[in-house]
Amino acid sequence: MKDINIVIEICGSAGEGTISAGEILSRFMSSQGFEIMSFDSYPAEIRGFGKCVAHTRISANPIYSPGKLSDVLIALNDKHSISQLFALKENGILIYDSQPARPHKEDESVVGWAKPGMISYGIPLNMLAHKAAGNARGMNMVALGALAALFHVDKLAFTDSIKARYSKKKQIVIDSNVNSFLEGYDWAKKNIKKIDHHSLKGISLGRAKEKLIINGNQLVAQAALDANLSFYAGYPITPATKIMEILSKELPKHGGTLLQTEDEISAIGAVIGAGFGGKRAMTATSGPGFALMTEFTGLSVMAEVPAVIINSQRGGPSTGIPTKTEQSDFNSAVSGGTGDCPRIVLAPTDTKSCYEATVLALYLAEKYQTLVVLLLDFFLSNSIRNIDIPQKPSAEMLDANIAPDKEDLKDYQRYKITETGISPRAVPGTKGGMFFSTGLEHDEYGRPNYDDANHLKMTQKRYKKFNTVLLEAPAPEISVKDKETFDIGVISWGSSAGAAHEAAMTAQKEGINASSFSTMMVSPFPEKDLIEFADKCKKILIPELNFSGQFANFVTHILKRPVERLNFITGRPMASEDILQKMREM
Amino acid sequence: MMPDNDHYVIIGNGPAGNHAAATLRQKDKDAKITIISDECIPYYYKPKLTDFIADKIVKEDLLVNPLDSYEIKNIRVRCGQAVDRIDPDSKTLFLQHMEKIKYSKLIIASGSNARVLPSMSSYADHLKFVTSYADVMEVKDEIQKAKDFFIFGGDLVGFKFLRMLSSMDNNVSILIYPDAFWPYHLTAGMMAQIIENLSKLNADIIVDDDILSIDEQNGSYRLTTQKGIEKTVDMVFSFNGLIPNIEFAKGSGIDIDHGILVDEYLKTNVSSIYACGSCAQIYNRTIKSYSTSIGWPNAVAQGEAAALNLLGDHKVIESVSKKYFDLEGVKIKTSWWEDIDKDSDA
Repeated sequence: MKDINIVIEICGSAGEGTISAGEILSRFMSSQGFEIMSFDSYPAEIRGFGKCVAHTRISANPIYSPGKLSDVLIALNDKHSISQLFALKENGILIYDSQPARPHKEDESVVGWAKPGMISYGIPLNMLAHKAAGNARGMNMVALGALAALFHVDKLAFTDSIKARYSKKKQIVIDSNVNSFLEGYDWAKKNIKKIDHHSLKGISLGRAKEKLIINGNQLVAQAALDANLSFYAGYPITPATKIMEILSKELPKHGGTLLQTEDEISAIGAVIGAGFGGKRAMTATSGPGFALMTEFTGLSVMAEVPAVIINSQRGGPSTGIPTKTEQSDFNSAVSGGTGDCPRIVLAPTDTKSCYEATVLALYLAEKYQTLVVLLLDFFLSNSIRNIDIPQKPSAEMLDANIAPDKEDLKDYQRYKITETGISPRAVPGTKGGMFFSTGLEHDEYGRPNYDDANHLKMTQKRYKKFNTVLLEAPAPEISVKDKETFDIGVISWGSSAGAAHEAAMTAQKEGINASSFSTMMVSPFPEKDLIEFADKCKKILIPELNFSGQFANFVTHILKRPVERLNFITGRPMASEDILQKMREM
Repeated sequence: MMPDNDHYVIIGNGPAGNHAAATLRQKDKDAKITIISDECIPYYYKPKLTDFIADKIVKEDLLVNPLDSYEIKNIRVRCGQAVDRIDPDSKTLFLQHMEKIKYSKLIIASGSNARVLPSMSSYADHLKFVTSYADVMEVKDEIQKAKDFFIFGGDLVGFKFLRMLSSMDNNVSILIYPDAFWPYHLTAGMMAQIIENLSKLNADIIVDDDILSIDEQNGSYRLTTQKGIEKTVDMVFSFNGLIPNIEFAKGSGIDIDHGILVDEYLKTNVSSIYACGSCAQIYNRTIKSYSTSIGWPNAVAQGEAAALNLLGDHKVIESVSKKYFDLEGVKIKTSWWEDIDKDSDA
């Protein structure tokens, strides 16, 4: 079977159906059994006509990263697409409107800027859309039709995906979209002399078993519902808003409560309040909101109240770049806030693991009575994958609170020093379970106590709880295990892990002896595993999406040896191609 | 205010167009230079297309220049963009995708397209060509799968293609036309020599006949000749010479016969517009008429001359040293109006 691995970008202006077209393309390719990874970028401004790009990677094999350069660029808007040509491969395909509504002035047409090795197919998108539906709205579908014809795909199967996308719309909307698609398909079939090598003809992967086409935010929301989330409080912020949007509809159906607060400080306050009351509670935000929440995070740790914060990172600092991805909140997530403030930080490494990480976050917060930060980023929040339906959490994961027994309640010490550091937690209303709860340093009963010996004892207790957390987390992922030594070891976290994994595997094929290490558990960090891996590697490379190398600094502190760094703040997800190139140079 | 630099535009991305562009850049470091081509591939070796079909070479081997060479020379190449019309009054090109481009001076070097015999126009949908990269990409995979071929015509590329198919153990029939090397006409003596040389190949050679009909039947083609020969094949190829690619110039006021008419300095009747290569008919003082010269070396020489003259030189074009094509052992003059039989380098 051919090794299908294609990246397609659709570029248009907001309102031109760019994102919808990308969604339909993903849905169709998934229905044909392909792996997909798609990612949209759009303007930060709510109003206006900014640039939108729907990026989709399609493969017959597992996908770990979105692909840096595209094989196909569909230009729905010339102005925006000119600035997107940089991401089209030197021999890539450009599909553009050959008969726009208005003539172009010199240099205003995207095809005019295509590089000499690129292949351009002019399709009268605007004209055909008008022919099909009487207006230009169907240009996106005409373009998809042309793409389907060029790639020799089953047009009827494709129209099924269009119908599914618009199934809740009126019939006229479905018909006009399908007709526009067919116009583009038939026109391209008849008029285009195909000179590229791409074809899906005869590629049979069998009908895919039922898969979820879903992004990270949707998975987080689904996982939270499946993990018995009872309370959510939040304030909308890109790129985390979608989580609240979904939960606002779904949480009440599950008997839960959602509260939109006036700001992020209130949100985390409400979450801690609900956690104190014995409810599974969480909030979701981004960097600027997380900064505000820092005011309250210490209370969760000090009062040992379960709380989960999802921080979907975006370009920072401050308001920064709301619709671009970055991994620059590592430091603030792991060590932000006041005092010695241990917390659990999880960072899913791909879309699929967003589900597992969310279930784990709610479980760990409850069991360890502490703050859990779940670090997503714009890419993980928004990238869409087709995945197997996740297994629902086990009963054990749904009820993790260590409640006081009768003996404990005889003389209840909410912050009793135990072997594990975890004290039995009584929720309000527990008979005999009354206690003081405060952000002040306190003794085992919860009474304020500023004695230096007590402060040391209670600080030790709060850290001691974390000794067993690592046993609860999935083991670190190592791409190549069956060798004693490696020339290069790539250590990564979060959304960069997929690209690092792919780069290491490609490097092996190129003859570079490399492996990769990544972990969902960022704090506490699996230092022993890290050191064991690093000891096998002659050189260490740490790629991440921030300027200062926050994770590299953290790892260097553990390994006590120099590492190579690869840092980007382009706003785009990590590309395996860039990591591989760096490995070649090392 | 600084005046805008000159914008030299060249229509055509073959040897004439590319050498014109390179010469212009050599002589004028500051000018804006743009090559426009309706083909979706930069300057490539057309004679190597048969090797490409046979998978002896890959696409990259077809390219004459590295892709980054244009950027290095600051020459902009617009591939896959066809010119719709020229307005000499406003010095504007109208491209088919509705973009307007202003030029200071223009060189037309748009080459030629495959000629379809008028008698075959009703069967045009059944015919395949090997004239351009796009033609080849359309048929390459099909050729690999097909076994039975019919070729009619038989120009330079056609015979090369025949040899390639024959070497791949295919069944090939060829109907040779004397005027397939249009605009040249093969004499009876030339034809006899060609047939003798081709007879060594494993091919069915048909002469002094013509096609009566071509019918498509379940993906195959059934051909009947006027003398009653019947063949059923997978693919039918036409090799009947080339015609200048100049549709876009019609109606612009530029004098046109079967090609664009230019004087011995390659200048058209319209100010600031030159033409060269196989799309041009060049006035020749020796025969006091217009003629077309073909072939790579001629195109290169004409491209350079057109560029120099556009910049103010007065270079009269002459045929270049290689004056013959070898058509299956028969010499065909590339510039037949000249008395070159006695030339030592012939």
